[in-house]
This record gives sequence, C-alpha cells and structure tokens, in this order.
Amino acid sequence: MKGENRGQIRIIEAFLAAMVIFAGFAVSSNLTMPQSVKKSGDLSNVGLQALMVLDSDGSLDAYISDANWSGLRDALSAFLPIGVCFNLTVYDAQMQQLNDVAISNGGFSSQRIAFTEYVCASRNPVFRCYVVHLRMAVAT
Amino acid sequence: MKTQKKLRANTSGQLIIVAALVIAILISSTTIYVYELTMQNNSDTSSSFTNFVLALKQSTKNAMISSLANISNGGEEAVLEANLNELSQFLRRLNSFGIYQLTFTLLNDVNYDSGVWLSWNLSDEGVSSAYANFTLQVYGASENVTLNYAVNVTTAATINGVYTLAGDEKQVNLTCNVYNEGQPALARNIALFYNNSGSWTQIDASNNLSIMDYGNGTYSISFAVTTALDNVQISAHVTDFRSIFVQANTTCSEA
Repeated sequence: MKGENRGQIRIIEAFLAAMVIFAGFAVSSNLTMPQSVKKSGDLSNVGLQALMVLDSDGSLDAYISDANWSGLRDALSAFLPIGVCFNLTVYDAQMQQLNDVAISNGGFSSQRIAFTEYVCASRNPVFRCYVVHLRMAVAT
Repeated sequence: MKTQKKLRANTSGQLIIVAALVIAILISSTTIYVYELTMQNNSDTSSSFTNFVLALKQSTKNAMISSLANISNGGEEAVLEANLNELSQFLRRLNSFGIYQLTFTLLNDVNYDSGVWLSWNLSDEGVSSAYANFTLQVYGASENVTLNYAVNVTTAATINGVYTLAGDEKQVNLTCNVYNEGQPALARNIALFYNNSGSWTQIDASNNLSIMDYGNGTYSISFAVTTALDNVQISAHVTDFRSIFVQANTTCSEA
C-alpha cells in the first residue's frame, strides 16, 4: 500500500512539474503578444504625428496639390524613424486614388502593419479635402 | 537508510504545496502583468485618438485659412460657410475611432460678419480675419466625446513712415510689420502704391524701391516719388505665406 501511494505521489509531482513548464510557456507567449500590439499602436501614432507635422505648415497639401509624390515620399521618410517601411495612398473626396505611383520606401517584410488614416484639408484658395492612408511596418 | 527513505516519502506532500504555490504566484503575476499591458494599450489608443482629434482641429484651421485666402483675394464671404460645410460632410465619411459630427457657428459681432472681418481702410493698419466656433462630436465604440473649440485665422499688417525732400522727389522710408494670429509672420509679396494726384500708381524699380526683409516679419521699405501733394499716401498690399491678402494704408508726412 505504501509503495502504491508513493507511485501516485510521483505521478502527481510529475503532473505538477509539467504544469509549471506549461505555465512558463503560456506566460512567455502572453508576454510577447501584447507587446507586439503595443508596438503597432505606437507606430500608428508616430505615423499620425509625422503627417500632422507635414500638415501644420501646409506642406502636405502642397505636395498633394502639385502631385509631387516623390517629394512627399522624401518628406515622410525624413519624419519617420529609420527602419520604418511605409506605403502611402492619397484619395480625393470621392475616395478615388490620386497617386498614380507608389509612395513607398520599400516592401514590407513584417506581418504586423500599422495603419493611420489622416484628413488633409487644403489651404489653397480653392478648397479641397483629401484622405491619406498610411501603412507602416518595422523593417526586420 | 530507512530514515532517508521515510523523509523522502514525507516531503512529497510538501513538494505539491510548493509547486501549487509557484503556480499561484505565476498565475497572479501573469494576471497583474497582462492587466498593466491592457492599461498601457488603452492609453496608446487614447493617445492615438487625441492625436487624431488634433489632426481634425488642424483640418478645420486649414479650411479657415483656405476660405480667408479665397475671400481676401476677391471671393465671396459665403465661401467660408460652404467650405466648412464641405469639411463637415467629409468627416462624416470617416470611421477611424468612431463617427464624427462637426458643427460650427460663424462669429457675428461689431467686426465680424458671417465669420469674416476685412478691415483695410483703417489708418496704418489692415486686418483680414476669419473666426468660427466648432463643436466636434465623436461617437466611438466605447465612449462619446464632445469637443468645443474656436479657430481664429488673422493676417494683419501695419505700416507707417515719413518722407524727406530730395530735390523734386520725396524720399519715403516705411516700416511694415506682418502678423499671423498676432505673431510676427513673413510676407510672400508686398506691393506698394502711392496716390499720384488722385490715381494710385504702383511703386517699382523705377522709384528706386528697396525692401529690406529682417526675417522676423519686419520690412524696411524705401523709395522715391514725385507728387504735388504735401503728404504721400501709401497703400501696401501684403500677401502672406498662406496666400491671405491684407491691405494697409498710411499717410506719410515730412520728417
């Protein structure tokens, strides 16, 4: 009877050990996932702020009005952190795409893509509204 | 030997308790950690939302600048209301963070008429201004936000100076200051005219026109004119870098 009990205790101990290991895996996976989400949220914020800075002096509107897509790409590259890939699309009030060339600094290698929507109101005497969609990812 | 075996058998129960304790600590610490992360994510979302609302405020200001640029360059005053209505309609199509409703009231008082004030006839000063109060309502999934704010776009120019006689000519020295919302601002273009016996004549290179830009919204201007009038009436037509036009007039007397 004593020997049988000892065997059961060993099984329980083994089970508990397995549970501890499993808990370790569960915790580590839980810790990494929300951090990725947080980074994605941060990136959206960074993109939004970059567009706001460009818009604050009317530069964003000027680039769009002049269809100066390469200038817009270079300006955005200057305001975004190094290592951030982006793809920008500009739509008019009827949601028709305006940029006929890609406004991008390279392909996305990350699966986690941050998205920012921005409304750009024109400062020109002829008033226009644009919607800017900015997709970003951290280059890996 | 027998005692050791007995001890090992007895400590098995303690191991279970220790293991259970470890698991309990792990679960609780994980719960706290996940909770903190969730709070951080919420603050991130809140920060993004705040920035997005700031961006919308920027858009309303841009719409005001666009309207004032149009009106001050000869457009109708109704352009301001039309542009703000267009922006309001446009925002309703957005779906980031929620549904947006932008309403506005154009200022009407002693100076402003339908949100627009163009004062170009005052002595030594000209003002082009637009003013509107906005209410931005955001109907989000988790909360509704109402934001009240006012946008004032003003371009002002002041001009004053004197002249000295130089033979038949009058050598005029002026100081012109340009302001955006009360802060010194740069001018994109300054065109000057003088009253030449009833008709306004543009001052150009033939008048030895010299404009010194100090880079801080202050311009020192000098030129020479020939006029039979005792005083030299000057009109400065200033366009700032937002394409807003303002006109300021002054009368220069002899120094």
